Amino acid sequence: MPPDTTSATMSVAVRPSGPPNDASGARLPGDLAIWFFILAELLAFAVFFLAYAFARAGNVEMFNESQLTLDLNSGALNTVLLITGSWFVVLAVQAVKRDATRLGARWLAAGMACGFAFLVVKVFEYSAKFDADISLSTNTFYMFYISLTFFHFMHVVLGMVILAILLVKTRQGAYGSREHNALESGAAYWHMVDLLWIVLFPLVYVMR
Amino acid sequence: MQYKSQAVAKPYFIAAIGLFIGQILFGLVLGLQYVLGDFLFPAIPFNVARMVHTNLLIVWLLFGFMGAAYYLIPEEAETELFSPKLALALFWIFLVAGALTIVGYLTVPYATLAQLTGNDLLATMGREFLEQPLPTKLGIVVVALAFLFNITMTVLKGRKTSIALVLLLGLWGLAVFFLFSFYNPANIVVDKFFWWWVVHLWVEGVWELILGAMLAFVLIKVTGVDREVIEKWLYVIVTLTLITGIIGTGHHYFWIGTPEYWQWWGSIFSALEPIPFFAMTVFAFNMVNRRRREHPNKAAVLWALGTGVMAFLGAGIWGFLHTLAPVNYYTHGTQITAAHGHMAFYGAYVMVNLTMISYAMPLLRGRAANSNKAQVFEMWSFWLMTVAMVFITLFLTAAGILQVWLQRVSDSPVPFMVGQDQVALFYWMREWAGVAFLIGLIVYVISFFVKGEEKAA
Amino acid sequence: MNTLNTAANRTWIVLLVATAITYWLGESGTAGKAGTMAVFVMLGLALLKGWLVIYDFMELRHAPTLWKALLVGWLVFVLGMIVLAYWMGLH
Repeated sequence: MPPDTTSATMSVAVRPSGPPNDASGARLPGDLAIWFFILAELLAFAVFFLAYAFARAGNVEMFNESQLTLDLNSGALNTVLLITGSWFVVLAVQAVKRDATRLGARWLAAGMACGFAFLVVKVFEYSAKFDADISLSTNTFYMFYISLTFFHFMHVVLGMVILAILLVKTRQGAYGSREHNALESGAAYWHMVDLLWIVLFPLVYVMR
Repeated sequence: MQYKSQAVAKPYFIAAIGLFIGQILFGLVLGLQYVLGDFLFPAIPFNVARMVHTNLLIVWLLFGFMGAAYYLIPEEAETELFSPKLALALFWIFLVAGALTIVGYLTVPYATLAQLTGNDLLATMGREFLEQPLPTKLGIVVVALAFLFNITMTVLKGRKTSIALVLLLGLWGLAVFFLFSFYNPANIVVDKFFWWWVVHLWVEGVWELILGAMLAFVLIKVTGVDREVIEKWLYVIVTLTLITGIIGTGHHYFWIGTPEYWQWWGSIFSALEPIPFFAMTVFAFNMVNRRRREHPNKAAVLWALGTGVMAFLGAGIWGFLHTLAPVNYYTHGTQITAAHGHMAFYGAYVMVNLTMISYAMPLLRGRAANSNKAQVFEMWSFWLMTVAMVFITLFLTAAGILQVWLQRVSDSPVPFMVGQDQVALFYWMREWAGVAFLIGLIVYVISFFVKGEEKAA
Repeated sequence: MNTLNTAANRTWIVLLVATAITYWLGESGTAGKAGTMAVFVMLGLALLKGWLVIYDFMELRHAPTLWKALLVGWLVFVLGMIVLAYWMGLH
């Protein structure tokens, strides 16, 4: 390992993208630290999802009834937006890895556009609910609906911030075929946000 | 000791230990008052002894944190402290102000103290842990800001390592959240809501950052493991802390009059709060396992590992036991709470301070590590205090379970004092464990004075 | 590189189709009427979608087994527990 000699900068050494391959050539894309972060987030959401599922088990009628007021169209549209946004980010990473960085930047921007559209749809959805005087205190279903989707919303926002940083740096030429660790790390986070919604949508909007 | 100005840490550490002794003496007084209610009444009533015990704890831990910062920041930033003179001046100001406050608690009736110190100008007194008179609180803010200025300027002019930045974030957070102690609204629900912004966001928030940074620093020094590895772990720990602990504040909002959704939010997020502590334990053991050197200071390594374990047990496990709303409904405000509180504070914050002192004091005194004989004394003190604390916790847990059963769960619940009479035996046992703890602390102090062949720096 | 491109595109299409089915199950009210079967189909689709995201979007298909196991295991566990909770709610 390199000696501890970096100057007045953050002490994070630059090293080739990704951790070393293991014996089978398998490789975890991106930084190991982001995967710990992803696991922590998945755990937090898992607890929340299961709290919903088991709270529902004790309250089936009320949950079913309240669920009918949810806007399935918004939910499905949002699912499509996140899936497509994720796909765009995959294409972005692939492009950058073959040094087509301008194309990569465009795909990243497209991914961000999808994320932004998600947020807009969500805001409309919330606004309709709040107009109907629905709040966290209306009943347990709505408490979960608002909490879960809002918590997820905040993660989409964070994902957008990450994508924005990646976009700027891609345009600056920071990533390419030799260096794309940070890009893969950010992309992994974005995909996590998609993965979470893939569970959330059927669980909260459809399952009855 | 690599930088001359690190020497300012020494008085801070000494004051910390001195105040720690005071805290424990008053702890013993309190423990006795649990079973002999009139002990020292009216000279030192229970509520006064309690204020002294808890306030001394916090103040000595703060002295410890400051000493730790003055020691590790110059070394991390690879430059002398911005102003050693300021550090020493602040030391005396803080010590004198603290001492006067304690004297005030002991010699003046609380209501009179409030009158004398301008509580009518801005009422900040009368709440648990925040009993300090207004001038003291203001003094704390001034001392904290000047301290932060000093160490921030040091980092700004030197190397900015992850450890230094996490520590700074934690310490700035400590100061910012303390400001909420000045907010004392009339609405008791709002009052309690924000009170936790000091207490929870301290010990289950920014203090964990301080803990992580201090532990990481000591581990780098005693194991020689690559900085990059240790700093990555630190990031993971900090992230886990913030993800779980911020909304985890909600586990204090179950019954104070806030909306019901807090029972869900608080339970879900705080259930995950043990995870960063678990990570810290794995972190400590893992780093020591892959150490690249056999550091002569074995005691410091023991404290570091012990911190991980006891913090996880006390804060993580014992915390988890009563963090879910359906459980907390029955255990809230009982001896279960006291059991958790004692082991958590000891395991996390007392022990990390003692880890730091264990590592740094020999260096401040001109050697890499104390003599074997002194280290043996110190390690005895580790085991005495730690095992004593485990027993204190177990006895209080037993008392708490019985109390919850008698007072809340049973088909014919009994009044508070009737329940207390029934658990008195456990209070006696706790007191004896407390005496053992004091013996451990005395052995600890002795270890500083034991001679023998010291390890060259 | 070309294979990757196609795999990602394929995955996207499959994800869209799976989403459409889930949507239809909800929209048409089948989720309510056909009850358990529909829920199983839906959660099965979620499993498929999640698995594809993990394997082809997160690119864990070629990652060390431990990480594949952790992520897919998470998905299986969460969806499994949801099924359990659903079943408990039926009784």
